[in-house]
Amino acid sequence: MENLLIGLFLATLITAFFTTRLYRLILWYSLNSLTLALLAIFMGMNLHDHTMITSGALTLVLKAIAIPYILKQISQRFNLPRQLEPSIKVYYFIILIPAILVFTFYLANPILSMATSNTNYVAISISALFLSLLLIIEHKDIAPQIIGFLTIENSLFLLGTTATEGMPMMIELGIFVDLMMAIVIINLLFKTEHT
Amino acid sequence: MILAFLLLPSVVIFIVSFLNITKQKTVLSVVSLLVLIPAIWLFFLPRPYPILGPYLVADDLNTYIFLVSSIVAIGVTLAMATLDKHVSISLKAYARFYRFFALFWMGLIVSIMSNNMGLYWIGLETATLSTVYMIKTNQTSFARRESWNYMIVGAIAISLILFGIILIYSSAKPILGEEAMNFTKLLQNAKNISSIFLFETGFAIVSLGMFIKMGFFPMNLWLANIERSSFYPIAALFSGILESAVILGFFRFSHIAKIVNFSHVFVFVFVYALLTIFIVSFLIFRAKDFIRLFSLSGIEHMALITIFWVSGGIFAALLHFGAHAFLKPALFLSTGVLESQGQYKIAGALRGYRGIKGKLFYFLTSLFLLAIISLPPSPMFFSELFGFSSMIKIAKESHHLFLMIGSIILLLFLLLIIFYKFVEIYQSMKYEGEVVEKRVYTPEVYALLLFAIALVVLITPMSFAFIGAIS
Repeated sequence: MENLLIGLFLATLITAFFTTRLYRLILWYSLNSLTLALLAIFMGMNLHDHTMITSGALTLVLKAIAIPYILKQISQRFNLPRQLEPSIKVYYFIILIPAILVFTFYLANPILSMATSNTNYVAISISALFLSLLLIIEHKDIAPQIIGFLTIENSLFLLGTTATEGMPMMIELGIFVDLMMAIVIINLLFKTEHT
Repeated sequence: MILAFLLLPSVVIFIVSFLNITKQKTVLSVVSLLVLIPAIWLFFLPRPYPILGPYLVADDLNTYIFLVSSIVAIGVTLAMATLDKHVSISLKAYARFYRFFALFWMGLIVSIMSNNMGLYWIGLETATLSTVYMIKTNQTSFARRESWNYMIVGAIAISLILFGIILIYSSAKPILGEEAMNFTKLLQNAKNISSIFLFETGFAIVSLGMFIKMGFFPMNLWLANIERSSFYPIAALFSGILESAVILGFFRFSHIAKIVNFSHVFVFVFVYALLTIFIVSFLIFRAKDFIRLFSLSGIEHMALITIFWVSGGIFAALLHFGAHAFLKPALFLSTGVLESQGQYKIAGALRGYRGIKGKLFYFLTSLFLLAIISLPPSPMFFSELFGFSSMIKIAKESHHLFLMIGSIILLLFLLLIIFYKFVEIYQSMKYEGEVVEKRVYTPEVYALLLFAIALVVLITPMSFAFIGAIS
């Protein structure tokens, strides 16, 4: 089950590159967060780790439902352009994405031999980080760049969940609070820009 | 109890910023002065003092950095009192600035006082996000663009730091469990970490994130653009306070990394910082306005601090840090006044100040400008002497004396370029251009006096003894 979810996590992220509509991009981010949340819940159940189950549930509520909803509201309120024009041509990603995946697996190889469990997940989370950075570079508009920033958060959460089998609850809660603050700031920035 | 006192000023500022009261501006400035009280109180408590269990602990290093940051915060809030005389800012924007300053200060307390990698990150992220909106208080298209820029690049930098922290935690978790997040425990058990490569990768990524935040190579102009676009007190906050929190994190992480493998840390940081100074010195030579000049010079000093720190010159690094934290905000504030309403250029900027306040402002600005290029008796003069001597000392122990002497000569050459540029600018400010009547206001002079007194206190034997005792 975990393998299926991690595959879906990467697939939803890769699909986001080929999207040229804003709402669809938000949807892919939401699905990406959903797979992440389910992964954390399943891993937590296997490890009998209540902290991981709680943070998975929080991810589900916050990142898969609340944040995409708020982002959609913001984009409607401030009439953000729904048609995205990537600064890198979409078809180049057919070469770029596999290249990044191979490169990150190669880069993560020495780390994989040291990590105690879920070694492939570590490599996937590192590649997800690189892909998220690429998503930011791909777009000139602010809205998809924000999605890129949020997927960076997702890849970090994946790394925290898999490489360390969960970080202390206090830290994870703090990260969630910071994420919400980021959304508030984004909202305020748009608000002042349009008044 | 002490935590409540630490957080109280920022909570009050946050609440007052929402109230619709007369003289709100004055109340906010006065409340901001309270941040110094808990900072001084910490000095009278036994150290290490647990503020919040093992999570927030006050030791000599963070108490010193917190005191320095509090003094800078007071200087900045004093200068804020007359910001509207120099730039056009509405009362609403003013209240918004203080609202986010309160959040910034809360994040900073958590970050500086933290003895936990995760909490350190959370504090730093809160401080970073709140500065995004502070940049936006300047309602120009340039500031709008740069605040988004800061949001994205700052988020990438801070994400890299978290990424590195997760790797470090992962490397130490097999031996320490959940306590692997604790800086003290990590330091005590650094030799027992088995996954050294994992730890070092984590450290390199954490350092990279911090270096991006401090504007090191290749992000040199990023910080300069942001400080140029925002109001001058925000530039002062960046250089005097936010960078202090970042460099404290670097001190903590590198302390552990040095025990794991000293030579790797030394070579990585030394080469990176030297490359940064190389680029920055030429950028400074081409700088054409005050804010960019001081912003780039801030990067140079941060690079010097990291070099001194990894060379074992802890005293030199901390003294240089203190001097930079006082001098750079003082220069940002004074040049903000010099560039009043954007009408003054470098040539003749210092001319035209009359009366006691004017003369004092002229004198203090000149003093800060000459102190930043390490002319004696500036604290930077002493810190650079101690710093270079520690570099020689470490080279003698490692049998790479000639390589280090070569590096020091290169470093001195680069510092010479910066020195030349600053002297040229000082001459231009003093002797060229027209004499135009200019005004300076009492709170600004008080702010500069505060920084000048803090600098003098920094070179007293008492301060030297305190900084020297920090290990």
